[in-house]
Amino acid sequence: MSKPPAKKTAAPAPKSADFLLDVFTEPLPARFVAPALAQLSANAEKMLAGRLPHGRVSAYGTLRHLVLLVQDAAAKGEDGVERFKGPKESAWRAADGAFTPAAEGFARKHGVEPGALKPEGGVLYAEVARKGEPAAKVFSALIPELLKSLEFPKTMTWEETGFRFGRPIRAITAVHGARVVACEVAGVKSDGLLRGHPALAAKPAALKSPAEHMKALRDRLVIADPVERRAYLLRQLELAAKSAGGFADLDEDLVAETVDMVEHPVPVVGRLRPEHMELPAALLKLVMKKQLKFFPVLDARGGLLPAFVGVRDGESAGNKLVAEGYRRVLEARFNDAAFFFGRDRKVKLADRLEGLKRVTYQKALGSMWDKAERVRALAQFVAERAGVDAKSASASAGLVYADLVTDVVREFPELQGTMGGVYARLEGLGEAAATTIEQFYWPTAGGAQLPTTPEAAAVGLAGKLDSLAGCFAAGLIPSGSADPYALRRQALGAVRIVVEKKLRVDLEACLAEALARQPARGDAKTEGALREFVWARAASYFEEKGFAVDEIRAVRRDALRDLLGASRRLAALQSARRDPSFDRIAAAFKRAANILKQSGERDERVDASALTEGAEVELSAAVESAERRVAERLGAEDYAGAFAALASVSAPLDGFFAGVMVMDPDEAVKNRRLALLTRLTRAFRRVADPSELQTTAGETPAVVSGVR
Amino acid sequence: MKSFQDVILTLQQFWSREGCAVVQPYDLEKGAGTFNPATFFGALTAMPTRAVYVEPSRRPADGRYGDNPNRLGKYYQLQVILKPAPADAAELYRKSLEAIGLKLKEHDLRWIEDDWESPTLGAAGVGWEVWLDGMEVTQFTYFQQMGSMPLSPISVEITYGLERLAMFLQKKENVYELDYGGGLSYGDLHKAQEREFSRYNFETADAALLSRHFDEWEKEGERLAALGDPLPAYDCVVRVSHLFNTLEARGAISVTERARYIGRVRALARKVMDAYIQKHAPEPHHV
Repeated sequence: MSKPPAKKTAAPAPKSADFLLDVFTEPLPARFVAPALAQLSANAEKMLAGRLPHGRVSAYGTLRHLVLLVQDAAAKGEDGVERFKGPKESAWRAADGAFTPAAEGFARKHGVEPGALKPEGGVLYAEVARKGEPAAKVFSALIPELLKSLEFPKTMTWEETGFRFGRPIRAITAVHGARVVACEVAGVKSDGLLRGHPALAAKPAALKSPAEHMKALRDRLVIADPVERRAYLLRQLELAAKSAGGFADLDEDLVAETVDMVEHPVPVVGRLRPEHMELPAALLKLVMKKQLKFFPVLDARGGLLPAFVGVRDGESAGNKLVAEGYRRVLEARFNDAAFFFGRDRKVKLADRLEGLKRVTYQKALGSMWDKAERVRALAQFVAERAGVDAKSASASAGLVYADLVTDVVREFPELQGTMGGVYARLEGLGEAAATTIEQFYWPTAGGAQLPTTPEAAAVGLAGKLDSLAGCFAAGLIPSGSADPYALRRQALGAVRIVVEKKLRVDLEACLAEALARQPARGDAKTEGALREFVWARAASYFEEKGFAVDEIRAVRRDALRDLLGASRRLAALQSARRDPSFDRIAAAFKRAANILKQSGERDERVDASALTEGAEVELSAAVESAERRVAERLGAEDYAGAFAALASVSAPLDGFFAGVMVMDPDEAVKNRRLALLTRLTRAFRRVADPSELQTTAGETPAVVSGVR
Repeated sequence: MKSFQDVILTLQQFWSREGCAVVQPYDLEKGAGTFNPATFFGALTAMPTRAVYVEPSRRPADGRYGDNPNRLGKYYQLQVILKPAPADAAELYRKSLEAIGLKLKEHDLRWIEDDWESPTLGAAGVGWEVWLDGMEVTQFTYFQQMGSMPLSPISVEITYGLERLAMFLQKKENVYELDYGGGLSYGDLHKAQEREFSRYNFETADAALLSRHFDEWEKEGERLAALGDPLPAYDCVVRVSHLFNTLEARGAISVTERARYIGRVRALARKVMDAYIQKHAPEPHHV
């Protein structure tokens, strides 16, 4: 280390070089790849911090390669000081300043003199000089630590050390510059070799340098960079679909899965037989995408063409054979589907209902038949209130679960609803019923499409409310991330249907009705908890729409009884708030509300002729008129108008607070004034609760009587 | 072109050269090769094992009266067990496909995540289904636990779907048209069986008799397990499991009863497993 320089005058600083780690595994499930790569670079960066100077840290890879590249990693770590936190100074130093034996022990453990312990913020630290380690040593230690730190959705063991990983590790390439970094993980010793695509069956070759790794893999049929692989895949899909006369159905889930399911995507085009095109498009697409991971080919308007693009891994040799194989499996699957579809068509939906008795929905909530009956009755209740043809809604609702006992849906549960709609149309049940059945589960995800007709909306709403009420009554309330019945999604769906499909229904009444029909009883708290749960979804929905949290709280009162109205009140509140004077108005109302909170609201009528003070008289008249106008505006659902009416009270209210003392020693006067404020606050609350609003004007606004 | 029996013979020879014992099928009706005691108990102990065997597998509910070109109520699996799992297991598997005549360069061989689990046996494994040009032809599994016990060493189980592989090699779209060998087609040997067993499993099986047998073999299994004879007791597990499958195909089990039946098979398997572990786990064991 400290050899005096012999001939060379200044020893050149040890050169930095790129470090590359390539963990070669048996095929990882596609869903494991991206998260593992993200952890690989993030964890490596954390572990290298303070240990070895380096440049950019990145990760790339495939289902068989997890690759870490650390650019410009120094040859040697920096010398540094490691600090160890010790005891509190007060506890480990005796009154005379001498160290206690415990403090001496702590110092000894770290090889320093007790006197060298450094106090900082009342705590003693031991500082130990640390020599920077050579990079090879740092990386040797880092690799096992790093691989151990990767988390997978599921891990396994496969060899005698019992190391856990997503899939077996079969080789480790670890190179710093031109040198192999020695390490051993799960019985595998590192080397400096490059391993290509298994389809090539080529022997591993020496990796020349970390920087050329990605290119060298590409020459061996592995596109190692996921971003490049995705772009390449999309381009290939586009070309292949074009050759088949259309566009690839680029389902994002399937694209993402395919990117990490192959190392070198090669498209294979195939065609569907005409007789299979008679099957419902949704069914054909599902078989292609879910069962075989093929991309359907669509025309410009999104209609299914009789073609698909499969993606094989490797090279294009034998593409004809592969296409032949793809065609055979696809046809076998379609034949199965056609068999089921043909059988299903022989039984009418109405005749399937009996079969629902044998399908358990939930132990405490009975069979699907029981649920169907509840939903049918609740749909009628909802439809009556929403001004939708209740007879038709209830008839359609009676059939929404019938497709659960069809062969196709048993084979492809994702097609529930969709198939019901298909069968309803084929049976000639009419477009209204078919649409309601088809769209019963809509929206199937947070932002997914809503039912398109009022009847479908009402029936879909009833289905969701029944699930919510049932699960709450049975005590199956979601907690944390556990939500096996997807109640959050269903509550959000209910909220979106009411607000976006403009259904005028009292959700509190509907929830009560839904609860009353459950075989499970719940307890005294069930209904309240259920309302809170639905409101929480509504609140987060509004928040996502850009409303402020305090605005949402301010419209909470009775919101569920008219959620559509609440959303309009919210919009009016938000726009009223943009007026610069609003804050002052809100603050005045808030002050009134606060006074009432302390002294209690008063219900007595105030005899206007008994009023003496001018400010009081003025406010009384203003309240009288505002009450009338608010009621009238609310009747017309003109929430902005209601806010304007309330704003007109602002000046008299300011004048009132400035001119009179509410808490007058005369009990009668005090009550009179409180009664006035009560009426005013109640009028405001019909639109929004001022005490929930955050105002910048403060609790007691500067009173500028008469000045607006 | 390889006949059905050529595929079997070639694979047996291939794996025999890799040090596998060519074990014969276990002589009881079973739903899958995993029920063969060579797999089931073989995975439990520490003794190294390498075995290959063809196992007829019966799935009463999958029968289609010989009408469906792709579905069978009884078919053949070829199973390979390697313990401990060698580092080149996947490579060996690829070579075995080459051995039966596939040029892998000209095909799409994909490994799709598919973990295996048999709650009945308290067994779980991690692995893949292997797709050959889109068709699932093999299950490749690293066993992780058996009888709810974590395993060490780990076994790898490779299960070839023989009919599918042969259909692929012979480019046949109908299983009954496969060249079986010996001048026979697969249909010559199996079609009548498929037809009659479909009728039996779906229509004519005496449900009362089967359910009585279920009760009796269950009792017998419990008795033998308690006596400390897990191997004959295990036969009882295999029997009741097949009786259950037949009863279900026959439509003789309601939804609520179904869960109870499965629970009973599982409970019996657990007792047998416990008896086996108690008796055999400490020392090597020969099936």
